[in-house]
Amino acid sequence: MMTAETETVQPATTGGRAFIEVTEVWTPDPDTGVLKLASGIYGPHDGFAAVSGTESFAKGEGLPGKAWADGRPVVLNGFRGTYFKRTEAAEAAGLTTAVAIPVFEASELRGVIVFLCADDRSRTGAIEIWEEDPGQTGLLRLADGYYGAAKHFEWVSHHTQFPRGQGLPGGVWAAGASMLMRDLGSSYRFIRAESAGQAGITTGLGLPVEVPGPETVVLTLLSARGTPIARRFELWDAVGGSGADARDVVLVDGLCESEGPLWGNPRRVAAWHGPIGQVAATGVPLARGSKSGEPVAGLPAGCIAVVAMPVFRGGRFAQVVAWYF
Amino acid sequence: MTQKLVVIGAGMASGRVLEHLFEEAPGAFEVTLFNAEPRGNYNRIMLSPVLSGEKTYEEIVTHDDAWYAEHGVACRFGEPVLGVDRARKVVVTEKGETPYDKLLIGTGSAPFIIPVPGKDLPGVITYRDLDDTNAMIEAAAQPGAQAVVIGGGLLGLEAAAGLRLRGMEVTVLHLMPHLMERQLDPAAGYLLRKELEDRGISIRCKANTHEIVGDGKVEAVRLDDGTEIPADIVVMAVGIRPDKRIAEAAGLASGRGIHVDDAMVTSDPDILAVGECVEHRGACYGLVAPLYDMARVAARTLAGDAAAYAGSVTSTKLKVTGVDLFSAGDFAEGEDREEIVLRDAARNVYKRLVIRDDRIIGVVMYGDTADGNWFFGQMKDGADISAMRETLIFGPAYAGGTPLDPMAAVAALPDDAEICGCNGVCKKQIVTAIDGGATTLEAVRGRTKASGSCGTCTGLVEQLLAVTLGDAFEMPAAKPVCACTDLTHEDVRRLIKARELKSMPAVMQECGWKTSCGCHVCRPALNYYLLADWPDEYADDPQSRFINERRHANIQKDGTFSVVPRMFGGITTPSELRAIADAAEKYAVPTVKVTGGQRIDLLGVKREDLPAIWADLTEAGMVSGHAYAKGLRTVKTCVGTDHCRFGTQDSTGLGIAIEKRMWGSWTPHKVKMAVSGCPRNCAEATCKDVGVICVDSGFEIGVAGAAGMDVKATELLAKSPDADETIEIICAFVQLYRENAKYLDRPYKWVAKVGLDWVRARVVDDLESRAALVARFDHSQRVFQKDPWAERADPGTRKAYRPIADLTLEAAE
Repeated sequence: MMTAETETVQPATTGGRAFIEVTEVWTPDPDTGVLKLASGIYGPHDGFAAVSGTESFAKGEGLPGKAWADGRPVVLNGFRGTYFKRTEAAEAAGLTTAVAIPVFEASELRGVIVFLCADDRSRTGAIEIWEEDPGQTGLLRLADGYYGAAKHFEWVSHHTQFPRGQGLPGGVWAAGASMLMRDLGSSYRFIRAESAGQAGITTGLGLPVEVPGPETVVLTLLSARGTPIARRFELWDAVGGSGADARDVVLVDGLCESEGPLWGNPRRVAAWHGPIGQVAATGVPLARGSKSGEPVAGLPAGCIAVVAMPVFRGGRFAQVVAWYF
Repeated sequence: MTQKLVVIGAGMASGRVLEHLFEEAPGAFEVTLFNAEPRGNYNRIMLSPVLSGEKTYEEIVTHDDAWYAEHGVACRFGEPVLGVDRARKVVVTEKGETPYDKLLIGTGSAPFIIPVPGKDLPGVITYRDLDDTNAMIEAAAQPGAQAVVIGGGLLGLEAAAGLRLRGMEVTVLHLMPHLMERQLDPAAGYLLRKELEDRGISIRCKANTHEIVGDGKVEAVRLDDGTEIPADIVVMAVGIRPDKRIAEAAGLASGRGIHVDDAMVTSDPDILAVGECVEHRGACYGLVAPLYDMARVAARTLAGDAAAYAGSVTSTKLKVTGVDLFSAGDFAEGEDREEIVLRDAARNVYKRLVIRDDRIIGVVMYGDTADGNWFFGQMKDGADISAMRETLIFGPAYAGGTPLDPMAAVAALPDDAEICGCNGVCKKQIVTAIDGGATTLEAVRGRTKASGSCGTCTGLVEQLLAVTLGDAFEMPAAKPVCACTDLTHEDVRRLIKARELKSMPAVMQECGWKTSCGCHVCRPALNYYLLADWPDEYADDPQSRFINERRHANIQKDGTFSVVPRMFGGITTPSELRAIADAAEKYAVPTVKVTGGQRIDLLGVKREDLPAIWADLTEAGMVSGHAYAKGLRTVKTCVGTDHCRFGTQDSTGLGIAIEKRMWGSWTPHKVKMAVSGCPRNCAEATCKDVGVICVDSGFEIGVAGAAGMDVKATELLAKSPDADETIEIICAFVQLYRENAKYLDRPYKWVAKVGLDWVRARVVDDLESRAALVARFDHSQRVFQKDPWAERADPGTRKAYRPIADLTLEAAE
């Protein structure tokens, strides 16, 4: 049975508090079939971490179980009176919003990533779930999202639709691949630019979320200057093919607060090597960090935690997307 | 002693020269760097991600101020060089003269501007530098802005994708039949087009820009065919030309680019040149890898070391996120080369290796390029691939392995392996069905739906039947179209309709063709199927037609041609006969023959005379008799009630009416008709593809006769009291034949396969079906009922009919 790696590292980035307070990964237990905590980054929320470590979710149970059963991401704003099972511990930690992203390889669940955020009038950013209009009109509409204090941007987003190929969500949809946009304000120029600019939102990470049904789902993490999602983003592409190295990955894009752009020198990681290689090999997401706040071996210099997520395309492993604190 | 090095152009090539030079000969040169752009060196090939928002300009700067300062480079940015005085060894700018010991020219290339009216209007942008990129970003800021990109090459498509991501409505105009024709073959070009159209980018190939329209600024682009496409900006990305102006003005030797030797030295031993501005051994390069190779050599030359640039073998990728293509080498077709093709229609994957003398000379890949660099390495190394040929296309993981027995591979598939992607049927479901008594393909299809939609998994299902049933299963002997595919003609026709495949590359990709461009067997068939099913969308491909149809005349055994003017219903006039006689004399036609189809055949016309004789006959009011066509040939008639004592109806009038309605229509094979005025059958209508016998009560319509290799009487399809209804029934019959028959099946063979009852139900009994068939036939005629002679009589077309060599002279010598 897998042992959970729960760390209480503070997921703050250099010079600011993080938009996401807690990230956890729940994976199906091979013996019991229920979701158990595999890894997590809890920051200062020891109490919530302790409660989570004892928890498990059957399909349809609690937030991770619901994301599994629904076969699509779920956003929960406020926990009391809902199916969220850890309400008291979450409230005690000041956590008010949770987003659960199921990770499927074809129809098989590999894990559920849960982001938890604290309601804070000073923190802005966005976690968005875009889905194709049910009428399959070729437009993505906002299914749900969390924006912190960026209320106007939230309103604008709810009234925005993206055609295939346009903007970050439409671009991710069309490409079937993750994208890291630096110039979000500009690229969203007439779509959501003004509001994004006011909210200080600059960098956007978009990921295609493959679900068992025919739905198109795109997850976007939009990072604001003051309270960024992470201090470093990386996009790794699978080497692919049918050889023994098919699950090796190559760094194709990335951005780091301290190192700057990461795409200039191609880097390759073999399957199983380090956190990125492990996610590539297993197809299971990962959230790992150090308890002490000291740099962690295997992570880039200065980084103390990593969230890494596999991306599947047509049921095949295609990418690893990682962000670091 | 420190020498003075002046560099003109702060581009990627010259920047790389400086990097190498400072490593190899630190302190050897005092460098002055001129750049017309008001900035230093940045990674120009990454402008596309800057345009799309996926990178920032700051990220693509390769040399910043600190780097130049660290290496003591005197930067003169924003100061264009006006000239080079080689005698005095100075570079001249507006600010004065700068002396050099060595001069390095890296002026790169200039975008080619097509010389159309409106090219200078504000809003027409080339795509070369950061200013162009920023202009495009600015244009994309307008709500609802529309962009037209002229040029479907690398740069144009990257611009299109970036502008689309920015939120613009984008149309790409490309002169050639498929995108990126210099890097991709038609199959990969089809997949790329599909991908980009899927992103909301409109693509128009074979689109020739006539004019850029606008009053004070760009408003639209007008094409040759009159189509006008609204545009707020027009991005001109049709190609680049080496920028050799400074070098030429200085008297340096140049051709397409500045001539350099293997050491990257120009015709002046103190002047070197690198990058896109140079011509080396007759080749100019527009990709980054050769530029870096040149830079390495130039730096060594400057440092006083011997080095030689031997030219580069290049490969291409498109920097559009999610578009996965790879191309390298020579992938043109040729008799001295063979190809290995792998397609996966479900995953939009296409791989093609071109091989000559057991060596890879070309690679084109789309959708899965994981092995691209490995193939490229094999190609560059000139590796002998004969030992691993069978598995080569599967990449390095299988190189040299034993080819899999397809039966063993199917047997080894796990139970949950998906066999039919369309209906989500896995191996276990199919095996269970077989065990349950479904022992034929049809039975499996009936129980599981496997292979019931697109049909491309039919082979797999059959192999499962064979593996499960062993000897008890007899593989059906359906004959595929040709060796390029396992599908039958009927499968292909069904898939063309069901999946709305409207181009030859689309059919070949979606149906998993085993060759890149088909062969002489499948191409004519596909060309016919496509034009029959999609008269509006599909453009006839003359190269996929037999020579007689391509030349619009029947080639004879001596290489001359026959010319047969159409005589509707076999009726002619004295003036037509005079024109025919005049033409025969004028062009020294050796034989004039009356044909069995009641036409006059001029035999022995020289190829170069064809357009002229056609023009003369057209002038006399005649059109082509299509005596060479897989289409309506003749409607033979007797004189009927006009002259004959026994005539019961106006057979001549009916024959003329039928022929006037139906001439010019393409069919799976030739179609001959006749109308006899009474059962005595003087027009021999009872052995035609369609034959009408007039009787007192009306018209008896017979079909499916033959009088060639097979002789067969017609079968009665219908009786009608009315001439108009008779024509409608005949049109419906021919349209049903056009839509369903296998290419090169005459109607009698087709009717034998489908049964006359099946035909009658659709053409005679079901009036709605008949009306729909007639409507489709008439619609098709609106496109295809054109006289090919009139179209080819103009002087421009005549060139194509000139002899390639003067064989008479050759023989005389």
